[in-house]
Amino acid sequence: MLAEAGLASLTIAFLLALYASLASLVGARSHSYALQRSGRNAALLTFPALLLSTGLLVTALLTEQYQISYVYEVTDPRTPALYRLTALWGSQRGSLLFWSLLMSVFTFAAIWRSWRSERRLMPYAIAAMMATLAFFLGLSLLIENPFARWWLLPDAPPGQQELSSPLIPAGAVAPSQAALRAGAQGLNPLLRHFGMIIHPPMLYLGFVGFTIPFAFALAALASGELSTGWIKATRRWSLIAWIFLSLGLILGGRWAYDVLGWGGYWGWDPVENAAFLPWLMGTAFIHSVMIQEKRGMLKLWNMLLVIATFSAVMFGTFATRSGVIESVHSFARSEVGFPMLAFWAAVTLVALTTLFRRWRRGELTDERQFANLLSRESLFVLNNVVFIALFIAIFWGSFGLPIISELFFGVEVTIGAETFEFFVVPLFIAMYILMGIAPLSAWGATSLPRLGGALKLPLALTGLSILTLWSSGTSLLVALLGYGVVLFAGFVALYEIYRGALARRRSLNESWLPATLALFRRNQRRYGGYIVHLGVTVIGIGVIASSVFQTEVQHTLARGEMIAVRDYALRYDDFIRAQAVDGRMMNIAPVTLFRNGAEIAQLRPRIDDYEQMPMTIAGAHSTLENDFYVLLIGGDYERATFRIYINPLVNLVWWGGLLLILGTAVAVYPKALPTGQWRKRERARQ
Amino acid sequence: MADISWQKPKHQEKPKRTERLKFLTAGLLILAAVLYLLISGTMQGARYFITVEELLQDHAYHGQTLRISGAVDGDTIDYDSENAVIQFEIVNIPSAYDDLATALREALRDERASRLKVTVEDAAMPDLLQHEAQAILTGALSADGVFQATELLLKCPSRFEESTGPEGLSKIPEHQ
Repeated sequence: MLAEAGLASLTIAFLLALYASLASLVGARSHSYALQRSGRNAALLTFPALLLSTGLLVTALLTEQYQISYVYEVTDPRTPALYRLTALWGSQRGSLLFWSLLMSVFTFAAIWRSWRSERRLMPYAIAAMMATLAFFLGLSLLIENPFARWWLLPDAPPGQQELSSPLIPAGAVAPSQAALRAGAQGLNPLLRHFGMIIHPPMLYLGFVGFTIPFAFALAALASGELSTGWIKATRRWSLIAWIFLSLGLILGGRWAYDVLGWGGYWGWDPVENAAFLPWLMGTAFIHSVMIQEKRGMLKLWNMLLVIATFSAVMFGTFATRSGVIESVHSFARSEVGFPMLAFWAAVTLVALTTLFRRWRRGELTDERQFANLLSRESLFVLNNVVFIALFIAIFWGSFGLPIISELFFGVEVTIGAETFEFFVVPLFIAMYILMGIAPLSAWGATSLPRLGGALKLPLALTGLSILTLWSSGTSLLVALLGYGVVLFAGFVALYEIYRGALARRRSLNESWLPATLALFRRNQRRYGGYIVHLGVTVIGIGVIASSVFQTEVQHTLARGEMIAVRDYALRYDDFIRAQAVDGRMMNIAPVTLFRNGAEIAQLRPRIDDYEQMPMTIAGAHSTLENDFYVLLIGGDYERATFRIYINPLVNLVWWGGLLLILGTAVAVYPKALPTGQWRKRERARQ
Repeated sequence: MADISWQKPKHQEKPKRTERLKFLTAGLLILAAVLYLLISGTMQGARYFITVEELLQDHAYHGQTLRISGAVDGDTIDYDSENAVIQFEIVNIPSAYDDLATALREALRDERASRLKVTVEDAAMPDLLQHEAQAILTGALSADGVFQATELLLKCPSRFEESTGPEGLSKIPEHQ
């Protein structure tokens, strides 16, 4: 019954999305308000329909309906309740449905917010959002149906008697519950981690979120309403999408660090890169969009960027879900690959063609032109160029080179992590330098002496920091230069906040704290942006320290024996075999950690055995200074082998990530207006 | 009440000729720098990604750093934990296939398929290194015919990624 109801609500949602897309488009073209409203209502209804459908799948997961083949694949009778819930996105079919649900939530919210204020744009935007949703729901219905059930065909030849199908095939019987329970597979152990519980939804929220600015941009192009209206309607959406995408990437890194057991968090794997590409494009967009708002410039460029961001989202979704890319992270090879590639190509082509038409008619002409190479807008464009260059380099290494070499030379050529680093390190250096200089230049024009004057203090602080680091024992030139570039960007952000607060203190006679708080309240986006810059600085320090100064050793110890690694010492204490409540066998090797002779922690590195698949769980002692990270490689009661990593300042990567999220949240947070102004705004909306 | 709107006349700030030249020069310099970065990085770091059979048949590949892919034979896995050295054998899988799990299984059943000994030094034993996993290795074939790998990536589609029809379901049908 659950499966039938789920299938029915999924089908209804698909039909609603299809209708909403067509009705909105036809309504907009024919100026029929009734049709536009009907399209809007259908779009709103996709949300409850998908909520019901997803709710039914979750109920099936929680109540162990193993005849539904998705439930059979991702859970088993021993799966804990939390993982039953998160199994919703544990594999392709459930996560596609979840993706669609999030898309309908975003559409619902966008309609709620902008239906009245953006009357001309909304029907087209709804058409674009609903076309995307209908495409994904079509994939769910026809190719990756989450409500397909196992059936037995007793009359079929051996080997073809089991079939997974959403509809009941002729002559089919249902398998026994006992056989289903016994065969159920359980969630992939690699996915049983806190980071993996939250990482996919965050990434999907980011991906889905960028659909909204894209839909509004397309609506602006289709309707000819090319003023900054579409940007104002979507700037908050872009930032919200960017927060989620950033959080998704950070949590993905944390998951890799904790679960994959190689002491790192980023491996330049094609699927990781596929999620990073829309982030780069989106970051370029949220910077350059400010220039259009403030100066009426870069209209064509912003359109191109928002199309490219959505295109990168679609490509990333294809790369992750089709299984055609060789990666540790990808879903299994799936039939969705070709339709996704076709959809990606079609959407990109339609958007670019519409853009080209408007551009040729001269409707995207800028109100001003670039007048000075050191002006803030020029530096912002340069920053965009760096992000695009990063995009091109990473895309080339992950997809361009392998595909082109295969097509034209018949042999696939790839590059490794060290080549990616060769590409991106100079570009990241350029990014940090620009992050430092751009905020200090002025709109319109800046002279070199004036810019130089503003740079004096941040540069002096940077020099002082490098000297302090050098005198405290950091002698590696590469690291010192890296720290210098990254710290410079951070000092500029702090200096800007200081300058703003100082100006308020002088003119309004406020004390430091109220002045700083007022600064953030009055210009949330600018000062929220500086917190983001500080977050990126902190991440940069963490990345440099943990990659340049990482220590990695492997040793076999007899029980009671100790090994010294830098100023730490590790003692192998015991070997325990135990069974967890979910049935896995655990081999635990408790160790004691000492630092400078004093005991500081008891760690329990272990290997969990999930029947056919072992999983190494690190024991880690984390401080802000470094992570002592130990893996049990193997052993018995007498001897055990450990692999030890000391990762200096690695936690700054996560803390910097949090700062980045906080800064974006400050920028996005709705402005508190006095009651009178709210009323005025509401009246204007009506 | 009639709406009255007033729009500020747009004024175009024409950049000076010298400024335009500066923008052009800066743009070309950046383009050249990015192109240099991409071309030189690709020339240095590019590696062929080939099958075991292609590696064994073509002597031109011997000694070169490249990437290969093969099916792991679980019986041959040997891990020396004292020295952190992994040794195992991989079997050729064709470069094109429909279903990875089937391709891996069939490769390991084929007695005539090319096999290659692999050594990975200074590595922790990966969880996914097991029978019928796909190994993607970066390294070079040494003179003694052993592939010395510096990087090992594994994909294990058999259990958790690709669900095939569960055998045994057909034993006890429950209801019509």
